[in-house]
Amino acid sequence: MSHTDTATLAAERITLAHQKYIVAENLDLRLPTGRVTAIVGPNGCGKSTLLNGLARIHVPKRGAVLLDGKDIHRLPSREVARKLALLPQDNSAPEGLTVADLVRFGRQPHQGWMKPWSEEDQRTCDRAIQAANMSDLSGRALETLSGGQRQRAWIAMAVAQRTPLLLLDEPTSALDLGHQIEVFELIRELSRQGKTIAMVVHDLASACRYADHMVAMKQGCIIGQGAPHELVTPALVRELYGVSCDLIHDPATGSPVLVNVRRQH
Amino acid sequence: MTPHIITPDKRNMAVHLALAGLLLLVCIAALSIGTVRISPQDTLRALTGSADPMSNFVVRELRLARVVAGLLSGAALALAGCLMQTLARNRLATPGIIGIDNAATAFAVASVVGVGVSVAPPLMALAGAATATAIAFGLAGVQGTRGYRFIVSGIGIGAIAGAVTQVMLSRVAIDAANAAYPWTVGSLNARAEQSVLLLGAGLAIAYLILLNIRRPLNTLQLPDATAISLGTRIKTTRFLGLALSVLLTGLAVAVCGPVGLIALLAPELARSLCRPGRIPLTASALLGAIFMLTADLLGRTLFAPLEVPVGIITAILGSPYLLWILLRPSPRSLT
Repeated sequence: MSHTDTATLAAERITLAHQKYIVAENLDLRLPTGRVTAIVGPNGCGKSTLLNGLARIHVPKRGAVLLDGKDIHRLPSREVARKLALLPQDNSAPEGLTVADLVRFGRQPHQGWMKPWSEEDQRTCDRAIQAANMSDLSGRALETLSGGQRQRAWIAMAVAQRTPLLLLDEPTSALDLGHQIEVFELIRELSRQGKTIAMVVHDLASACRYADHMVAMKQGCIIGQGAPHELVTPALVRELYGVSCDLIHDPATGSPVLVNVRRQH
Repeated sequence: MTPHIITPDKRNMAVHLALAGLLLLVCIAALSIGTVRISPQDTLRALTGSADPMSNFVVRELRLARVVAGLLSGAALALAGCLMQTLARNRLATPGIIGIDNAATAFAVASVVGVGVSVAPPLMALAGAATATAIAFGLAGVQGTRGYRFIVSGIGIGAIAGAVTQVMLSRVAIDAANAAYPWTVGSLNARAEQSVLLLGAGLAIAYLILLNIRRPLNTLQLPDATAISLGTRIKTTRFLGLALSVLLTGLAVAVCGPVGLIALLAPELARSLCRPGRIPLTASALLGAIFMLTADLLGRTLFAPLEVPVGIITAILGSPYLLWILLRPSPRSLT
C-alpha cells in the first residue's frame, strides 16, 4: 500500500433516516479525490447523518453509497475498512487505554487469523503517531490527555488504518483555537499526502480556510456545493443560518471571512 | 529514554503465566486436602497411579472428578461473565444478575424433580439459559444488550425463575427435593459425569471460537461507529458473543448450579491485571477456575465434616468485594 492509492466515494440519491424519521433526502455527492471536503450547515441539518451514511454506519433507506463504484453495503466490511476510515464524534475509550494501544486498533482491518501483528503494522503505527505529533505521549493513557491531544490520538488511529479515504465528524468541536488549528493543519497535511478527506465542520470560517470543496446542507438537503470562495456568499449565509453578514477576504490566505454578523430583521 | 521497562505485552504474558501457575497450585491443593490429607508429592504421584493404593484411590477416584468439574465450571462461568459484561458495556451485566443462571437452574430442576419432562439436565439448563436471554433481549428494545432495559428485564426474569424453582421444590416429595437442593445454591456435589464431559467440550469449542473473534470483540469496547469503521460486523460479533455466553452459562450451571459472583468478580479482577483495551478472556477463565476451586476447597474444609456448598462460599466471600467495586470512586474500563 502506498499513498498513491486512491478510492472514490460517492452518494447516489440517498435517503437517510433515524428509525422512522427521515433526516436527509435524495442527496447526491461525490468527494473530489485527494481534496478536503467540508460539510457545513446549521444544527440538525443532517450533516453528521450524511457523513455517517458515507461511512456506512447508517444504511440508506433509498439510493446507494458507492465506494469505487460499488455499493458499500455489499462489500465485505474489512475490505471497506482498508479503504475508508471514520473519526466519529463519540470518542469514548476504555479507561487506561494508551495512545499506542488506541492506534494499534487502526491495524485491525489489515490483520487476520493467519496474519498476526507484524513489523509493518508496528512501523505504520509509529509513523501514524509521529504524523499526529504524538510520539512523546504514546505511552500515556487517553484520559490523562488534553482534548486536543486526545483528538490527535484518534486521528492517529485513523491514519494507522492507511486508508485513501478519511471521514471526520466535527474533528475540532470542543477544542480551543490553538488546538483547532493544530488539528486542521494535520488534516491539510494528510490531504497533501494524497488522502481524500471529508469533514463535518461547525465553523464556517475554518471550513473556508481549510477545505478545497464545500457542501452546504439545510433541513436534510444539499443546497450548494463548490469551492468555498465561490460558494460562500452573504445570501448563502442568510439561507443557512438566518443571519445577515458582510464578506471580506482574508488578506493572508484569500479565504472568505464573515464580518458584521447580525440577526436578520 | 522512555521509562517503559516492562512493555504491556510482556506484562500480559507475565500475568497469564502467574495465573496459570496459581491455578496449578490450587488444583494440587484441592487434590491433596480433605478428610484424608495427602502430601503434594504423593498427590502428583497418585495422578499417574504410582502412589500407595489409598492415595491413588482418594485422588483419582474421589477428588479428581470434582476438581475437573470445578475447574471447567469456574472457567466457563467467568468467560460467560466477561463476554456479557463486554456486550452490555456494564460490569453488572453478568449471567447471574441477568437471571440466566436462575432460569437455567429452574429448567434443570424441572427435569430433576420430574415435572413431566425427562430431558437431561444439561440440555434443560441450556434451554433455560437461552430462553431467559431471548426474553431479556426481546424486552430490551432497540438498544439490545447495551441498555439498562436488558439488565432490568433480566433481573425480573431471574426473580421469576428463582420463584418457580422454589415452587417446584415445595411441591415434590422430600426425597426429590433433597436431590435437587444442591442445584439451588450451587454445589460441586451433584455433578454428573455426562454433564462435565459436555461442559468440557462446550468450553473448548467456545474458547476456540473466541480466540478467532477476539479482535472484533476487542473493538466492541470502542464506540459502535469506530468498530464498524474498523471492519467489525458488530451485529454478528455481538450475536456470537451472546450465544457463547448462553452456552457456557447453561453448561456450567448443569454441572455446578447457579454459583454466584464468579462471573462478575473474575473478569473484573482480570481487567485490572491485564493491559487495557483487550478483553481479558484467558485471564478471566483462569481466575474463574481459581475462584471456584478455592471456594470449593474452603467449603469442604472450613467446617469439616460439614460441607458448605461452594455457592454459599462465593456469596459470602464475593459480596464484600462486589460492594468494594461498586463503591470504589473510579471504576475501570466499564461503567
